[in-house]
Amino acid sequence: MEGKIIVVTSGKGGVGKTTATACIGAAMAMQGKKVAVIDMDIGLRNLDVVMGLENRIVFNIVDLARSRCKIQQAAIKDRRIDNLFLIPASQSDNKDSLTPEDIVRLSKGLRGRFDYIFMDCPAGIERGFENAVAAADEALVVCTPEVSSVRDADRIIGLLYAKSITPKLIVNRIVPEMVEKGDMLSHEDVVEVLSIDLIGLVKMDDKVVVSTNTGTPLVLQKDSEAGKAFHRIARRLNGQPNLPIENPYNAKGFWRSLGRKLRHRN
Amino acid sequence: MFNDFFSKFFGRQGSKEAAKKRLKFALVYDKLEISDDLLNDLQRDVVEVISRYFEIDTTAMKLDIKRSDDLSALVFNTPILSAKRK
Repeated sequence: MEGKIIVVTSGKGGVGKTTATACIGAAMAMQGKKVAVIDMDIGLRNLDVVMGLENRIVFNIVDLARSRCKIQQAAIKDRRIDNLFLIPASQSDNKDSLTPEDIVRLSKGLRGRFDYIFMDCPAGIERGFENAVAAADEALVVCTPEVSSVRDADRIIGLLYAKSITPKLIVNRIVPEMVEKGDMLSHEDVVEVLSIDLIGLVKMDDKVVVSTNTGTPLVLQKDSEAGKAFHRIARRLNGQPNLPIENPYNAKGFWRSLGRKLRHRN
Repeated sequence: MFNDFFSKFFGRQGSKEAAKKRLKFALVYDKLEISDDLLNDLQRDVVEVISRYFEIDTTAMKLDIKRSDDLSALVFNTPILSAKRK
């Protein structure tokens, strides 16, 4: 078994990296793969609370890098979803406690133990980013349809290319009503500016906040639009790359969609 | 309501057009920015090439980026001490 390492990154903070990592990891595990999600945000860990595993932490990624524990001790097993494991960040160290070499060294053991390893990258382009991408085979760039987020995504995409990684794009927190009014960049606009391949579109969904409040996996909620979108992203990563990407806009009726088409010609 | 109706058909420009324009401009601008590291590397390479043909005063030379509103220029200034005879 040779697992694949996928880094989830964005440049800008607060665009939904951690939620995306938790959701895609959980969805992938529900599809029968053995999955580890790793919080690479040393000093500011959050993947544990998003997943509702914060009170089960014993060891963390820095302990693992320092050989103070084994992978099976650091990896917390999710009791609600089979095959899903979290390796938390350390909260007391800082980003310099790890080096890209540490991660490359650790990656061998991780690849042997899991089918997919998702690295939740911290915001920024410094050491934390370098660590998170050090052993990555693939990258997912998360961005929201906002100027600041797209600009940072462009920077991150450039840095990933420099490391010979061709990332795929997730456009997160799309508000269809705003896109229809012409007050939010559409995913087509974002893709045009960034010129990379899409792997998924995720609508703004209040259930994300609710699931984070309670620490219950979003992907277990059958009625969550965002949850469903993350399931589809996991399927595209997991052997179904051609699963169609659904248009997120409520093109209710003929006139509305015609109006949108007309606007789009400009 | 009437306005809304018209905007749907005749392509009122929402704020996203402004977003897109500003974004594209920002990305072009970002890529014109040159880091000190790159400039230092360039200076080292330029000196190496010029030194094959001229004796130059490496203490007095200057490599700079001159920026104005719509263009960037690379300016390299160096006193020539002598040409090398081949």
